Amino acid sequence: MRASRLGQRLFMSGRRIWLHVNDEEYEVEIEPHKTLLEVLREEFDLTGAKEGCGLGSCGACTVLVEGEPILSCLTLAVDVQNKPIVTIEGLFKEGHPHPLQRSFVEEGAIQCGYCTPGMILSAKALLDERENPSPNEIQEALSGNLCRCTGYNKIVKAVQSAMRRPS
Amino acid sequence: MTQLEYLNIGKPQPRIDGMAKATGEAKYAGDLKLPRMRIGTLLGCPHPHARILNIDVSKALTLPGVKAVATGMDIRGQKYGPFRSRRDETGLALHKARYIGDPVAAVAATDEDAALEAVEQIWVEYEELPAVFDAEEAMREGAPLIHEEYRTNICAHRGFNFGDIEEGFKASFHVREDRFSSQGLSHGALEPRAALARFDASGKLTLWTGTQSPYNVRQDLSLVLGLSASRIRIVKPFVGGGFGGKGGLSAHEIAASLLAVKTRQPVRIHLTREEEISITRLRHPMSIYVKTGVKKDGTIAAQYVKCIANGGAYASTSLMVAYNSGLTFLIPYRISNFSYDGYVIYTNRPVSGPMRGHGANQPRFAVECQLDMIAADMGLDPSELRLRNATQKGDTSVNGLVFNSCELSRAIQTATRVSGWNQKRGRKEANRGIGMACGGFVCGARAGSHTASSSFIQVDEAGGVVLSSGSSDIGQGSDTTLAQIAAEELGLSPSDVSVISGDTETTPIDPGTFSSRVTFYAGNATLQAALEVKKLLAEIAAMYLEAPAEDLEFKDHKVFARGVPEKAIPFSKLAQMAVGFGHGRSIIGKGQWAPQNTQFPDKNTQYGNVSGAYSFSAQVAEVEVDTQTGEVKLIKVTIADDCGQVINLLGAEGQAEGSVSMGQGHALLENILFGDRGQIMNPSFLEYKIPTALDMVDVSFHEVGSPDPCGPFGAKEIGEGLIISTVPAIINAIYDAVGVRIKELPVRREKILEGLSKS
Repeated sequence: MRASRLGQRLFMSGRRIWLHVNDEEYEVEIEPHKTLLEVLREEFDLTGAKEGCGLGSCGACTVLVEGEPILSCLTLAVDVQNKPIVTIEGLFKEGHPHPLQRSFVEEGAIQCGYCTPGMILSAKALLDERENPSPNEIQEALSGNLCRCTGYNKIVKAVQSAMRRPS
Repeated sequence: MTQLEYLNIGKPQPRIDGMAKATGEAKYAGDLKLPRMRIGTLLGCPHPHARILNIDVSKALTLPGVKAVATGMDIRGQKYGPFRSRRDETGLALHKARYIGDPVAAVAATDEDAALEAVEQIWVEYEELPAVFDAEEAMREGAPLIHEEYRTNICAHRGFNFGDIEEGFKASFHVREDRFSSQGLSHGALEPRAALARFDASGKLTLWTGTQSPYNVRQDLSLVLGLSASRIRIVKPFVGGGFGGKGGLSAHEIAASLLAVKTRQPVRIHLTREEEISITRLRHPMSIYVKTGVKKDGTIAAQYVKCIANGGAYASTSLMVAYNSGLTFLIPYRISNFSYDGYVIYTNRPVSGPMRGHGANQPRFAVECQLDMIAADMGLDPSELRLRNATQKGDTSVNGLVFNSCELSRAIQTATRVSGWNQKRGRKEANRGIGMACGGFVCGARAGSHTASSSFIQVDEAGGVVLSSGSSDIGQGSDTTLAQIAAEELGLSPSDVSVISGDTETTPIDPGTFSSRVTFYAGNATLQAALEVKKLLAEIAAMYLEAPAEDLEFKDHKVFARGVPEKAIPFSKLAQMAVGFGHGRSIIGKGQWAPQNTQFPDKNTQYGNVSGAYSFSAQVAEVEVDTQTGEVKLIKVTIADDCGQVINLLGAEGQAEGSVSMGQGHALLENILFGDRGQIMNPSFLEYKIPTALDMVDVSFHEVGSPDPCGPFGAKEIGEGLIISTVPAIINAIYDAVGVRIKELPVRREKILEGLSKS
């Protein structure tokens, strides 16, 4: 998490902020230079969002803010106060996986699983916006989420099969 | 090819840990937290080659939040490394640092910011030494020595001499000599390495680490720390990909352990991507010189190969790479006169080590390209040339490899037929081309130390089955494969089997995940354990079914006498009778397995059957080249694979598609760039480009294998063998498309344009 080094000792005092995470409101005291990724992982124990690069180039830290996929390793937590944040943990509701979570498992779109949370959230943002994206649009929407295991074929297939699945 | 009816084997089986991963529940090493946990970070050497005169940690220790500093001076044991004959690493450099980034110290502090501030306050006094970065320069007399004690920079040399190459070349109709080269690559597993260490009051060290080989890490950690292996427990949580990179003991694992011992508090170190690329392992950059002679009919009469690889500062698995680079020549094709010299050279560059294919990829690229050049010289169809040389079932190669199963000819025929080879070859469409390459791979090479895999299976009174295996699922899906194997034998579904794997205290000994060995070794061990469980249960069932135990069948969650399915005992009921109030027994099966027919290659001749089976494959790549920009687009890859009996079709396809993607990166995109001081110039995903979803390739996968007599249900390997032929298939397709022959990887646009301007 080297990306967070800027201003490390200058703002030691904590700051109280409100975060709206997975349908619940929280008040947390954080150092203002903390990224959303650090706060989610360290303060909330929501470790589904991963750090793969710390530079916004791999997409493993993707979460949804106001429905849009954002790179939480490049986003300061103080900048997303009071905006609805959805992490991968927030997709599994009342014991029911989201259609994308089910199709990722069934289609073999998951190998090591490290990119999976970010990948599923980018796919969710796409499907929330477009009803019937073409394979090319799916590839485009996922192009910021790197996967080293699958070659992406089964990931694109999983997104397509989730489109056909009632939620 | 399936001859037998299976319940689970060969079917597409979603992975048993899929939902844990899809929901974010799966914990990787960097996600783990313990009370009073400290965060560690490493300090690297800023010079390529330097004596360490003094390390002053006093200032760092006074900073707020800093708990401990560790340096090479804290390492009390001996050096470590995967080969007993070449243990040259201490993790934290002792007396001397050998490349830019070589870890020299580590700090544990209350939080990351404090740790990062503290490493900058460690004052290391260096005496810079002359450095050498190029492998061939480092081989010369008088080059600076990286490890003085070996008196040479030749880290590894393996030589083969089989048959008579002089005679072979004399008898050749056509002889070619070419030089090829392949670049440095990073594994690019999405999870950078992480480890969490705890040293408890009883003097026991527990290390949770994203590793491919818990038992091997324990062995080496024991050497370095001077702590008995029985006092160390290694636990593998979920692992975010390995591809060879997470095989051996790494500096951060040593540092976290040392700091945990010093502070008596848990210490976690999570590498950054920059560190992951710079201070772990790379694929060996290699020069490959190949001289091949063929007879008039295209059969190979003689081959001489010299490989020179840049090993970087430490040996890692270079002793194996020097062997594997020669071995790969003798698997797919019949060659009776063969000579090989393979060198891996120490330099002041970051360390080269194992990566998917492990030394086979670079020479396979060279020889498969040269075969196409020979075919072109002689006016032969490249697929026909390969068919004429293909290894056949029942062959023994000149170096003693025994091929009990081999469907390479069928693979070549299938790949040509399915891909439309004859219709597409020879630039039928402008700037589009098609190319082929073949390959073969070991199913777990005989290891020098512990080599067998082992499994336990326990059945509880409710019919629950727990499989405990020392193998490591690092994302490739072995837990699911093993669950399928156990379930098949016991007549259950894979989801009925709970799998615990990769823990040196709760799972039985296993060397880990490398050399494409897990399905073959751990699969057989699991099969054996399942057969023992079945035998124990059958003895009891026999009493109730009034039939001999050996006549009982386990199927669809039931046990019945063969031919009498209507009189059946449900599996759960039988378990209850066996374990619970009926008989009160323990139902535990154990398996331990290694192939009987393998040998360690002879020290002098390198003769010996190193693997219990070998996979074979043929691949056809189709590309389109933009003649204005030189850009190459990989459109489709057709794979015909003899991996024996497929266990999990979904997993097999996943390995094939992933291999193609990684091979595409190797051929067209990825390149570790070294600066003039040996430093890596592009240690991030911004500059080191791995394929994205937009680079996705259409992969057409075809099983052509027949069951191997030694594999579990006849299975062989698929994890590593495929990537090695993707690269040359692409390069051969480029030649077919535009007539430009690439001999240096990766393909660069300017090389294509330069080639086009000449033709």
